[in-house]
Amino acid sequence: MSSHREAPEISKDPVADSTDLYAFVSPDKPGTVTLIANYIPLEGPAGGPNFYEFGDDVLYEIHIDTHGRSEADVTYEFRFHTQLPNPDTFLYNTGPITSLNSPSWNRRQTYSVTRVDEWGRHRLGKGLACPPCNIGPLSTPHYATALAGPAVHTLSDGSRVFAGQRAEGFYVDLGSIFDLGDLRPFQNFQVFAKGEGLKAAPGVNTPKFLNVHSIALQVPISRVTVHNRPVIGVWTTASRRRARILDSEGADHVHSGPHTQVSRLANPLFNEVIVPLGKKDYWNTQRPVHDKQFAHYVAHPELAGLLPVLYPGVFPHLAALGKAGTARADLEAILLTGIPKGVIDGFTNFTGPVQADLLRLNTSIPPTTSNPSIFGLLGGDAAGFPNGRRVFDDVVSIELRAIAGVTYRLIDHSYTVDAAAGELTDGLIPADLGGPYLSHFPYLGVPYDGYHHPS
Amino acid sequence: MSRIDDTASAPVSAEREGSLLSRRSVLQGAASAGAAGVAAAALVSAGLPAVAETKAPARPAGAPGMGRAGESEPVVVHIRDIAAGEMDVFRGTTHIRVRDKEITARLVRASD
Repeated sequence: MSSHREAPEISKDPVADSTDLYAFVSPDKPGTVTLIANYIPLEGPAGGPNFYEFGDDVLYEIHIDTHGRSEADVTYEFRFHTQLPNPDTFLYNTGPITSLNSPSWNRRQTYSVTRVDEWGRHRLGKGLACPPCNIGPLSTPHYATALAGPAVHTLSDGSRVFAGQRAEGFYVDLGSIFDLGDLRPFQNFQVFAKGEGLKAAPGVNTPKFLNVHSIALQVPISRVTVHNRPVIGVWTTASRRRARILDSEGADHVHSGPHTQVSRLANPLFNEVIVPLGKKDYWNTQRPVHDKQFAHYVAHPELAGLLPVLYPGVFPHLAALGKAGTARADLEAILLTGIPKGVIDGFTNFTGPVQADLLRLNTSIPPTTSNPSIFGLLGGDAAGFPNGRRVFDDVVSIELRAIAGVTYRLIDHSYTVDAAAGELTDGLIPADLGGPYLSHFPYLGVPYDGYHHPS
Repeated sequence: MSRIDDTASAPVSAEREGSLLSRRSVLQGAASAGAAGVAAAALVSAGLPAVAETKAPARPAGAPGMGRAGESEPVVVHIRDIAAGEMDVFRGTTHIRVRDKEITARLVRASD
């Protein structure tokens, strides 16, 4: 998936597992940028009695590089605290939860937000309520208006924040893709599927009707940019204390020491598809400024070599590129430095020469409010991925097409793009989600409830 | 900008030697925390006066905070290298590295 369970160690620690990161100029408030970091992959809506929640023992952060050094110039920290008013019941709620103050709600979380910048640490909010998980019409009636809406808080600097359960907005045909790189719409060309006599078929959205936990922040652009530098680089991390003692004599575990990073995410699919299995856990511990050590995997992505093998005869030009050992400068630009001026008319999201996996957003490009393309920049829509990432961008198809060679022509005009490269897709669109996105903050849809989505 | 205090402390403190955290303070820290895992358990077995009073688990009430080390915060000691006497000491959100062969030798003996 985008970054769901993308590395061996973090796949065993879902509370700290970053799944998707979004950064875009807010379409309904174009003077602001919205940053969303998702955690806890593949939440089944009926996952009670202990419904999903953030980790009290995890430090969640969203970092912003404003100076093009691939270092955090601004960091937002999010720390959660769980309360259990009545420990003598097994119930998450003892009656309908009708408001964020409902006495029936027995397992609740609050959180604090701290901004760290060159002027120091600034507590922007504390005791902010998360909404409960969406259980069902009896437990969480009027979820959107009574519970999720009031959980959007205004911070002391005027920014807005939301932290809690949301509908998964990422769409992907995992069942097919991880079955030897099969893309159902093209499986009549896939070497193994063809052998099985499989015909081309529509994609199937694996995370349909699943939820995720989102940390969403809407900040004035001026708060996250510096003068004459509209391009920002964004990433999220989750960190745990270095020492943990499982205390069988106490009710809680003992956590001690400084935080150490266990998960990070910027561009979708970077660690999942680019970084080899033996280095994925290590990648999760590293800062982006050190990503030069992974640049080889971007310049020579394994998937670009696999496509011509899995789809014989479909990608002859891509195969020739790989055979020649040509470094993919297009992918290095898209994923590691941003696209410099002059490559695409009127567009840049270049942050500087330091190679780092950052989600780069040129905040001076206004949001596309009329017929945005889910293919983002590849679809002629400069407000979309890889210029930041909007909730609806089809990042799977965009990255498949880029890796298949579509973007290589940007830096080598003599290169002939394989006909199939520009059509690659896992066959999904936002309509394959279980519900709609929101047109306003926090943009990801109302989480699916367990009663109506029991399996 | 400066990084957050707790993560910034790691590489800096990793260079510190035992002079910044004396053997005595390690023992006292373990004693006051009670639940200092390896250190407390080991030192109790060794019969050291500093920890002899901590037979009860005496874990501080409530979940550990995420702020700077307080007096009631547990101390966790990880012996990295027995031969070199090298230990990582965690308390609150800080980490320091201590080198003291005598302490590590006594802890190892106590853990046998």
